[in-house]
Amino acid sequence: MAGTLREEFTKGFWRTIPPFRLVLGLCPTLAVTTSGINGLGMGLATTFVLVFSNLFVSLLRRVIPTQVRIASFIVIIASFVVIVELMMQAYFYPLFKILGIFIPLIVVNCIILGRAEAFASKNGPVMSLADGLGIGLGFTLSLFVLGLIRELLGAGTLLEIPVMWEGFAPFAFMLKPPGAFVALGVLLAFMNLISQIQARKG
Amino acid sequence: MREIMRMIVVLTLIAAVSGLTLTMIHRVTAGPIEYQTIKFVKEPAVKKVLTGYDNDPILDRKKIPVGTDPRGRPVELVVFPAKKAGETFAVAVEGSGKGYHGQIGVMVGVSKEGVILDIGITAHSETPGIGSRVTAPAYTDQYQGLPAKKGTVVDAISGATYSSKGVVAAVNEAVGLVSKFREEIF
Repeated sequence: MAGTLREEFTKGFWRTIPPFRLVLGLCPTLAVTTSGINGLGMGLATTFVLVFSNLFVSLLRRVIPTQVRIASFIVIIASFVVIVELMMQAYFYPLFKILGIFIPLIVVNCIILGRAEAFASKNGPVMSLADGLGIGLGFTLSLFVLGLIRELLGAGTLLEIPVMWEGFAPFAFMLKPPGAFVALGVLLAFMNLISQIQARKG
Repeated sequence: MREIMRMIVVLTLIAAVSGLTLTMIHRVTAGPIEYQTIKFVKEPAVKKVLTGYDNDPILDRKKIPVGTDPRGRPVELVVFPAKKAGETFAVAVEGSGKGYHGQIGVMVGVSKEGVILDIGITAHSETPGIGSRVTAPAYTDQYQGLPAKKGTVVDAISGATYSSKGVVAAVNEAVGLVSKFREEIF
């Protein structure tokens, strides 16, 4: 089932990029992407948890009895989430205030449990690291792009630098929850269009 | 039976190891977290009420034990001293009073001579547009230069009597604490 190391790492960027291809982890995707920085911060926090939970689940995969594997995975994931939360609070307080409840909610992000169950519990630590890093960075990229689009249209800035022309009236609606769905839908449509063109060529 | 034992042992071990790790990380980050919380929540108010210092009032903050709460745990008063050439000439102390909607937190700057320098609202949940006017300079500026003792009168905001009373109560609490623990503070 497992491909080469490179395949496992790069699949997260396009082929199975969450949240667009797997359509998992939509809750943080829609909620925190009001600006590029927020998306990036949330993505990196999730990546950290994903990489380490994958590594430890993979290392312990022969020790953990199958009956209690989900409970064990959750304990491992929750521990890393608390680590991220404490670290953010201690060193990136403003970002911690913005992301708020969505940091502890990484525990129930189905991408992380999904990778632990579907990949890390069946593969070796090196492969699992590559998988976690790839999927995590793919998730970060998605959140970052979605955040940039919403920030550009909703506030007229990119990474807090005004880029639109003078007199540009921002679509405040893009920063509200419905705007998140619209942006996600349009982005998905574009990705499907590109895939179709690729498939026709191939 | 052996299988059940194995499940129990493995899950217990995993939980114990992660619990231990988290305790250690909590210890390490406790200091920075306290500093960050004070920096982002209290610093704007401290900066507003104190001027002309050459130290970092946040870093130089002092904790003075002021007694115990009903559960017997020690209560500490946090004071932010403003120093010039190593000499404390004023302090910022936070007091709180009951407003129209819950507690109002007020940072009060008091000079060594017992004069209120300025006040800044740190926390409130008053009605936006009505009670929230107590945060406006039009209201807070009238505390500047008042003697730091009870009995002085300030104008309340019409329509926001409870909020105004809350701020007065908070200022009185802070001022009372400063005069009570004068020796430890200066």
